[in-house]
Amino acid sequence: MLQSNKTEFSDSVFAREGTDRISRPRSRWIFLLGAWFRVLELSEQRVSMFLTRSEYDRGVNTFSPEGRLFQVEYAIEAIKLGSTAVGLKTKYGVVLAVEKRITSTLLEPSSVDKIMEIDSHIGCAASGLTADAPTLVEHGRVETQNHRFSYNEPMSVESTTQALCDLALRFGEGDEDSMSRPFGVSLLIAGYDENGPSLYITDPSGTFWECDAKAIGSGSEGADSSLQEHYNKEMTLEEAELLALSTLKQVMEEKVTAANVDIAKVAPTYHLYTPTEVEAVIGRL
Amino acid sequence: MRLDFGGLDPVSLQRISSADAGFDLPCNPIGSAPSFHLPAVADLDGFEKAAVDMVKPLHGTTTLAFVFKEGVIVAADSRASMGNYISSQNVKKILEINPYLLGTMAGGAADCQFWQRNLGTRCRLHELGNKRRISVTGASKLLANTLYSYRGMGLSMGTMIAGWDETGPGLYYVDSEGGRVKGKRFSVGSGSTYAYGVLDSGYRWDMTVEEAVELARRSIYHATFRDGASGGVASVYYVGPDGWKKISGDDVGELHYKYYPVSEAAAEQEVVMKEASSAS
Repeated sequence: MLQSNKTEFSDSVFAREGTDRISRPRSRWIFLLGAWFRVLELSEQRVSMFLTRSEYDRGVNTFSPEGRLFQVEYAIEAIKLGSTAVGLKTKYGVVLAVEKRITSTLLEPSSVDKIMEIDSHIGCAASGLTADAPTLVEHGRVETQNHRFSYNEPMSVESTTQALCDLALRFGEGDEDSMSRPFGVSLLIAGYDENGPSLYITDPSGTFWECDAKAIGSGSEGADSSLQEHYNKEMTLEEAELLALSTLKQVMEEKVTAANVDIAKVAPTYHLYTPTEVEAVIGRL
Repeated sequence: MRLDFGGLDPVSLQRISSADAGFDLPCNPIGSAPSFHLPAVADLDGFEKAAVDMVKPLHGTTTLAFVFKEGVIVAADSRASMGNYISSQNVKKILEINPYLLGTMAGGAADCQFWQRNLGTRCRLHELGNKRRISVTGASKLLANTLYSYRGMGLSMGTMIAGWDETGPGLYYVDSEGGRVKGKRFSVGSGSTYAYGVLDSGYRWDMTVEEAVELARRSIYHATFRDGASGGVASVYYVGPDGWKKISGDDVGELHYKYYPVSEAAAEQEVVMKEASSAS
């Protein structure tokens, strides 16, 4: 902001000087006076030194003096409002489970998809502003398919996660068709590649971590501590399904039914459970 | 001292007029690259284009596909030629786009391979986005639209897209001119006329899979017999409700002796008998 004021100030002096000197020599004084007030204004701003917090909030790509990007931090906050999603890695594959938050009996449960397939060996669960998830997932699908086209092999789970995080960071870039805000979703990415099963978590800042088990969304704190207590690396896939669902049950307000949870596994290919398959897991609780 | 940089000149690009075309090597043997004669024609560009068109691989081909009661049969030979030269006898001319879709290759091998692989990618994205497989109609239209957008830019493809979707078996002919035709029976390539002859006379809607496979194999065999640009192996695929399956791949030379077994001539038999008696 300081920068733009300065250029405006100097431009106006030069422009006016050039034309006014010839036509109306007396008016030059008035403009010099105006310029002097501008200088006063500028020095006043320098006294306050920094913009207020609310002004840093506006720009997605402006660091605050403390080194924070507020919009990105708010986006991370948005995830804490989202529905809970749980991911668990076993030696045999990865299990994902999400609460669907069916708000009305008139809502069609199958239309709420918070678990999506990226490629036959990668699935992901979303939490937060779930409307942003399809954009990321579509990007992931194109990346994995292009990888298959170019190399005739499936893309590794880490590379896919990296590709999604690259997109997450692409806000504020360029002028026209760039994104205006960070994505408001966090993803649990479950995959199976040449290195075996793996589970990754991404956030709006474009950071990702590899985990054994992780929960995201509103119930993530309780779910995470529950997972820490009950998870072990030697679990079978069936035990993992059960732990994922029981963890979800603990943090969910509503009763767990086949309509309001989704379960998927990648072992070694993606499979979204049908309502009857979900019912079977609920039966084992 | 003076260095001779004459060898760095691109002499090989020199155009030799018909007047001095009688000399074998008009170049200085030391310090210059060997040159060669360019064709002594008035329109060099046109001549070269015609020559490249002539040797464009896989112009000589026999591919066919037909729909019948049980599904779709796709068959092809396996010869690649560049003009008179047979450059390969084992080309995979039936391209596996995905487990339910096949494409055939005629025209430019690279064009067919690249665009059908590209089609495979886009069919998969359709599948992920719509949670169901793409129809044969949709897939063939996707390819036809792509090829139309490159129309007149030198692509050379004559392909059949065959597969099974929610509506049953599907078969389309798509080419690099942008054309797309739905049909029950197609054959593409230099051997297609011969293949059509056998196919059209033997085709029935209510064939069994075995009869259909045999008809396709015989059509390809007869095409390779008459068309010099077709040969190698006759591959046959069947596409049914559970996707495609490769049924057979027979060397057409062996097929020839299977269809027309050589009966021993009377004179030869006599010789054999004589030899047998003299030995005893």
